[in-house]
Amino acid sequence: MTTLLKLSFKNVRKSFRDFTVYFLTLTLGVSIFYIFNSIESQQSIMEITDNQNEALESLSQLMANFSILVSVILVFLMIYINRYLIKRRKKEFGIYMVLGMERSRISQILVLETVFVGLMALVAGITLGVLLSQGMAVVTAKLLGAGIANFQFIFSLIALEETIFYFGLTFILIMIFNVVMMRSQKLIDLIYAPRQNEKLKVPHLSCSVLIFIISIGCLALSYAIVLSGGILTISLIWLSAFSGILGTFLFFFSLSGFFLKLIQQMKSIYFKNMNMFMLRQINSKIHTTYVSTTLVCLMLSISICTLSSGMGLAKAVTADIVRNTPYDATFSMNAHYNYDDDSYSSYPIAGVDLIEEAKRQGVNLKSFAKTYVPVRYYDGGVPPFDIKNSAGGTMGTELYYIKLSDYNRILQAQNIEPVTLTENSYAIDSTTANDQWIKFARDQISEKTISIGGEELHLNPSQVFSRALEVSGNYSLDLIIIVSDDLLAGAPAKRDLLHIQYLDNKSRSEDLVVKNLSNISTEGVDNRLETKILVVEKNSSTTTTISYLAVYLGVIFLIASATVLAITQLSEASDNVRRYKLLHKIGVDERLINRAGFSQVLIYFGVPLVLALAHSVVGVVAASQLINSFQGIDILGSSLITALIIVSIYGGYFLITYSGSKNVIVREYSRQEKEE
Amino acid sequence: MRKLKKNASPILEVKRLEKYYGNRNNLTKALAGISFEVHAGEYVGVMGASGSGKTTLLNCISTIDNATSGHISIGGKDITSLSQRDLAKFRREQLGFVFQDVNLLDTLTSYENIALALTILKKPADEIDSEVKKVAKLLDISQVLDRFPYQISGGQKQRVASARAIITKPLLVLADEPTGALDSKSAQTLLISFQQLVDKHNTTILMVTHDAFSASYCNRILFIRDGKLFTQLARGNDTRKQFFEKIIEVVSLLGGKIDDIT
Ligand SMILES: Nc1ncnc2c1ncn2[C@@H]1O[C@H](COP(=O)(O)OP(=O)(O)O)[C@@H](O)[C@H]1O
Ligand SMILES: [Mg+2]
Repeated sequence: MTTLLKLSFKNVRKSFRDFTVYFLTLTLGVSIFYIFNSIESQQSIMEITDNQNEALESLSQLMANFSILVSVILVFLMIYINRYLIKRRKKEFGIYMVLGMERSRISQILVLETVFVGLMALVAGITLGVLLSQGMAVVTAKLLGAGIANFQFIFSLIALEETIFYFGLTFILIMIFNVVMMRSQKLIDLIYAPRQNEKLKVPHLSCSVLIFIISIGCLALSYAIVLSGGILTISLIWLSAFSGILGTFLFFFSLSGFFLKLIQQMKSIYFKNMNMFMLRQINSKIHTTYVSTTLVCLMLSISICTLSSGMGLAKAVTADIVRNTPYDATFSMNAHYNYDDDSYSSYPIAGVDLIEEAKRQGVNLKSFAKTYVPVRYYDGGVPPFDIKNSAGGTMGTELYYIKLSDYNRILQAQNIEPVTLTENSYAIDSTTANDQWIKFARDQISEKTISIGGEELHLNPSQVFSRALEVSGNYSLDLIIIVSDDLLAGAPAKRDLLHIQYLDNKSRSEDLVVKNLSNISTEGVDNRLETKILVVEKNSSTTTTISYLAVYLGVIFLIASATVLAITQLSEASDNVRRYKLLHKIGVDERLINRAGFSQVLIYFGVPLVLALAHSVVGVVAASQLINSFQGIDILGSSLITALIIVSIYGGYFLITYSGSKNVIVREYSRQEKEE
Repeated sequence: MRKLKKNASPILEVKRLEKYYGNRNNLTKALAGISFEVHAGEYVGVMGASGSGKTTLLNCISTIDNATSGHISIGGKDITSLSQRDLAKFRREQLGFVFQDVNLLDTLTSYENIALALTILKKPADEIDSEVKKVAKLLDISQVLDRFPYQISGGQKQRVASARAIITKPLLVLADEPTGALDSKSAQTLLISFQQLVDKHNTTILMVTHDAFSASYCNRILFIRDGKLFTQLARGNDTRKQFFEKIIEVVSLLGGKIDDIT
């Protein structure tokens, strides 16, 4: 056993080039896994309210759930890497067997190596994770809006246990996979392994050109569906996804051939420097790698989409919060909702006078409010347009009428210029910023007239507003029609609201509001209290959740794609050595050879990234279409962070791969000089 | 010159050995019922045109590949019916194999590559050390023991591989064109080393070769054509030069294609 241990230890140490990427990926995987599972323990440094605590708990629960998905991805990734590593070592195992080593002992070596590298990566990854989670706690506190009570070292035993459990499971699966793979190998195939890989089916060049054109067609179709808004129809989503994936696959299948053909036409470029060699090189290799390249590109697209739209969404939510909290609190009475039959009871026709009601139930509004604005919404009948199905079926929930004077009082409280209505006209406020809807209102609603109080009114297209009128934690779209006061004189009430601005001591006011107003209840109607503080808390937990989930999944997919590329390139490096040596022998300048090597790695890393970026732009457009029913996404702001993450991780793997494959070539040069 | 011990039971006995490749539509009979014997202390060469089945024969004898039918006995034991576990034991205790393309582990030094065979046999460390040094001296590679395969020449590499094959004192050493990739000087050094193994250490060697010069170092040559034994030629009391000329004669009889390198 000791000699076996020594042997496997030696193997790991000597083939460190191959293992670097394996080790790095494992370590990163472990640390990210630990960090996102240790969120709950971060509260030890925070000063948090019950709501924030709840948010933190559900956040960590969500992360725990997604960790299962992440470990599945990591298991596949590890198995992929292991398959590659074993393939590269077929000959080694063949020699062991010819020398009479039993299969079971070879399996033992593999198991030992897995355990060995696994333990190292586990220790390194957890150490890294513990360190990084200290900094992350500060970020979490900031995102949740919680204060930092005292700095202390954070360590999560649960996260440690989970990490060890999931990665232990991963290692066991890898071991089983390795042993099974070892068992199924015939000795003769192990010994003569390299001979088999020589068969290459490179399609005819003009065939490549044709396939390339088809692939562009597929991609164009896929993009067109998304960009023309087809993403809202299920069957079109599938068509778009299918043709996108097929297009990507065919793209990588034919790209190098197409390019080769193209460059061959341009003789001056083709014969310049090492271009001919490089293109041929890539063309011959792409046929063993196009499947993995397709996979890499798709994973990269997922990663970029998740990172940018996730963080963009988080930013948008934050921006929305500022907009949706025009006062410190809104207290309202609404028609009673019957859960049993999903219907509303009728609201008192005369409405509820909230100020009177408060007084009657012993609540002193002056004890917490600097100002308060009572507003009544009316039922003005069914309008001649279908709001539910307007603007692509994304429209809102409720339609209310409001008196012009009430509307202007709301505006006044928000320091906005009052509105005046011209004869026989009405204004409309969608309460939520939505360009699609405003366009719909201007183009279509303005053509129709509404009749109320015996008058026909038409919409003044310049008076389509989208202002937040109350403190609200959700994004339901209320449609408010503003008409002159006298027209609503006899209309039944539908809802009563009281908008409140607090006294200077906000937290005291908040306490009083929550304590007092929640107790005001009226027979047959539902009351609702929304305060700015509660909405902000709730929303920061939403944004934290979205951005953490985006970073978690985005980074994992990013690592996965970079790893697949690195492993493929590194194991090709030693196959390429023979060719580079030949070039060296026929007198090609070493600098040119090095540059060719660099370009090759660059192309392998760059091309999938470029296509993935294109995919992502379209994907993000699709995502914003889906989400736009209540808000837009701020892509630009988040793309900077996304770019930063991609440059550091993807770029890091690129550098390791480049220096790794360069080392192989340099080592081979020294061998060659020795032989001469 | 050594006398062949015809009376003793053979170390290697191959009986009606067949090996087919491919399927019913596209069948290659790499070995078509070949039979022969090799006795202890013999140095037997195997010659034949490219594609005549030499490598296949060696792969079957070394249990690297399975025969389609027929029997192979080594040291009186039929190896065609051994279990995986017994095969491994058989390979590590009774067999040495030298490949055409060297097959050294490039993560290990020459010393470690040679020692590997004994490590697998679980020999004690001090014994391993003295054995490695002894066999390195025999094959004249003492000065390259601490170097890695990529730091030494092709001929030295092949001698390191040979050292690894013989260090366990196997009953039978199988060599598939060991001189194939070597220049003539290195080839000669290796061949002389092999001859010394046979003469001084009573090793038995079965060596595939495509050139008559290498073959002339053997005691006996088996000529294979189309997977069958075409003829054989014993050296008897001939000098190496006389034997060489006889081999050339048979080679031209075979059709002169023998120099095609596999
Ligand atoms: N793995 C294989 N699959 C199919 N045919 C094979 C395989 N290996 C060898 N052959 C065929 O078997 C015959 C004998 O091959 P081989 O033993 O390698 O010949 P030699 O070593 O004498 O040149 C040849 O016709 C060869 O094409
Ligand atoms: Mg051969």
